Amino acid sequence: MRSRRSAFVWLLDKERRELAASKSWWVMLLAMGPLVGVSFISAVRTYAEASGLNGTSAGVGEAFSPLVGVWAPTFSACELAAAFLLPFVGIRLVSGDRQSGALKLELQHPMPAFVRLGAKAMVLLSAWIVASLAPLIAVVLWRSYGGAIYLPELATVAAGHLLNAGLTVALAASTAAITEHPSTAAILTLTVTVGTWIVNFIAAVQGGVWERVAGYTPTAMVGEFQHGLVRLDVVSIAAALIASGLVVAAIWLRLGMPVRRRAYESIALGALTAATLFACTFITPSWDFSENRMNSFARADEEALEQIHAPLSIEAHLAPEDPRRVDLERRALSKLRRVMPQAQVRYVSATSIGIFEQTSQHYGEIWYDLGGKRTMNRATTAEGVLEAIYDLAGVKPPVETDEIFRGHPLAVAPKGAAAVFYGIWPALVVAGAFFVRRRRA
Amino acid sequence: MLLQATGLTKRYGDFSALTDVSFSIRPGEILGLIGPNGSGKTTLFECLAGVLPADGGTLRHDDRVVPPGARSSILFYMPDAIAPWPSQTVRWALDFTAGFFGGTVPESGPDIVPQLDLVPLLDAPIGTLSKGQRKRVLLAIGLLTPQPVLLADEPFDGLDLRQTRDVARALRSYAAAGRTLFLSIHQISDAARICDRFVLLSAGRVCGEGTPAELSSLAAARGTPPAADLEEVFLALT
Repeated sequence: MRSRRSAFVWLLDKERRELAASKSWWVMLLAMGPLVGVSFISAVRTYAEASGLNGTSAGVGEAFSPLVGVWAPTFSACELAAAFLLPFVGIRLVSGDRQSGALKLELQHPMPAFVRLGAKAMVLLSAWIVASLAPLIAVVLWRSYGGAIYLPELATVAAGHLLNAGLTVALAASTAAITEHPSTAAILTLTVTVGTWIVNFIAAVQGGVWERVAGYTPTAMVGEFQHGLVRLDVVSIAAALIASGLVVAAIWLRLGMPVRRRAYESIALGALTAATLFACTFITPSWDFSENRMNSFARADEEALEQIHAPLSIEAHLAPEDPRRVDLERRALSKLRRVMPQAQVRYVSATSIGIFEQTSQHYGEIWYDLGGKRTMNRATTAEGVLEAIYDLAGVKPPVETDEIFRGHPLAVAPKGAAAVFYGIWPALVVAGAFFVRRRRA
Repeated sequence: MLLQATGLTKRYGDFSALTDVSFSIRPGEILGLIGPNGSGKTTLFECLAGVLPADGGTLRHDDRVVPPGARSSILFYMPDAIAPWPSQTVRWALDFTAGFFGGTVPESGPDIVPQLDLVPLLDAPIGTLSKGQRKRVLLAIGLLTPQPVLLADEPFDGLDLRQTRDVARALRSYAAAGRTLFLSIHQISDAARICDRFVLLSAGRVCGEGTPAELSSLAAARGTPPAADLEEVFLALT
């Protein structure tokens, strides 16, 4: 009964053992295989059809990128797991100590609460990495089919889901620490998750400030990573939220502190977090890691835009639910903001769907103001937007020098994937759970 | 004097669980906290250990006030009716306690595992143990910690007669080795068998503190016959 290990290492080992003893963890692992499998198999089939398999028109998928065609759908299983399975694993690990009475014993060690919670967070994140073996197997299978892999974009997708898992862990830890019972924590966690979906929905209908807020929800964050885009403001906000959630959990796990003091500390932390989040929204750097530069203008256009220093403002008369507004955002404005972060974009509409505004004289107009010079067009494509800006700036549109992305068509069936994800993976997980249980018994 | 508690108070809304509780703990003694169910024994232990915030009062050690956050350096509290780390084995729990809290069994000291008859239970998960078995494991955990004072809530609850005697013997041997024990006991006969001094608690207030002889004198002053046993003394003072 003697050991030279530090108290933190003992705690880390204890959390690892508690994780291995948790049924919710094994259920999450078990579900990951089929979840990833169904996404991967259907994605590979669709990709193959678009690439000309089974007599479909070959060449349609010529510009197909595995990022959007395979990795985004395959890794979407991770998003489901992070929203509906990982919270229960986190809550079990945090609430379990309180339910069993172990917390009252462990709190009698002078270790700071944040360090104590850090051990739980580290174990939970490593649990997520183990669960991520399922999509990693999909990557190996894809490679074995002869599929192309562009590592930076694949790493970006995985990093996005890891960040999302971090948010889930922080949320689950904070709710489990604040509430007395795990079921209350589960309800609170799911409420927050559903709340972010509601924000996305309101943003799609209302636009405006809601649209800006919705850009920082986990769904939006994962969506950008799935397109190979890493925005520093999004990463900073996610990191701030993760840190804040873990600190809240640490505050509430100090059972010896009066509730009032813990509440005041939480309110102060909330204010500090809100200020940090607000400051983070002004961070502008971003990186496009997609192989086909789907989040960027052509390099020549970017260089030309960087030479324009006059203030640019755009006023688009399009309703939030108008598909043209979605096109304008995705094809042009999101790329424009990356090159000209100071550009002001304002949407004007009287309704959310825009159908009854079509007869309005100015509906659909997009006004550009560059240093006081104004022009208008109705184009929602990247070319249309660039043309208007170049016209106002008196700049000659540059000649495109970028190599055209030809894509990586692959017309193969997902051979062996069903056996791996529906048979071998679940069997290994069940065997692992059985082995761990027998070792403990 | 090792520790001096003064004016400890704990309220839950309008209900006062502890009112101006004051007493002292002497080094190496076995101090019994006696009181009926609901008298505030567990609340007092939790406030002392700093796992429950008190509304008032201080704990002094060497004439210095020890804030709740620093009490883990002096005392360790073993709660009643808990089943910590239910999926882990007894062997692991004892190892963890010694490793995490920095306590180890002294080379020359008593070996708690055979003394509490835990050898047959070492590989059993804690969650599968009976109440009495779990109680012995909890006591072993408490005794393995390095703090000079151990607060144990109902250490004999759930134990049969033989086990009670074994546990009492183990506790005495630890006290003899220099550990100070503060035991919350609601069975007065059990308390009389092991404790050197007593703190009597009733409705959240201290009704008396001292050795059996001192408490008898206190009770006699209130009209109880001088030769009365601890139960009668307790009834007279509460």
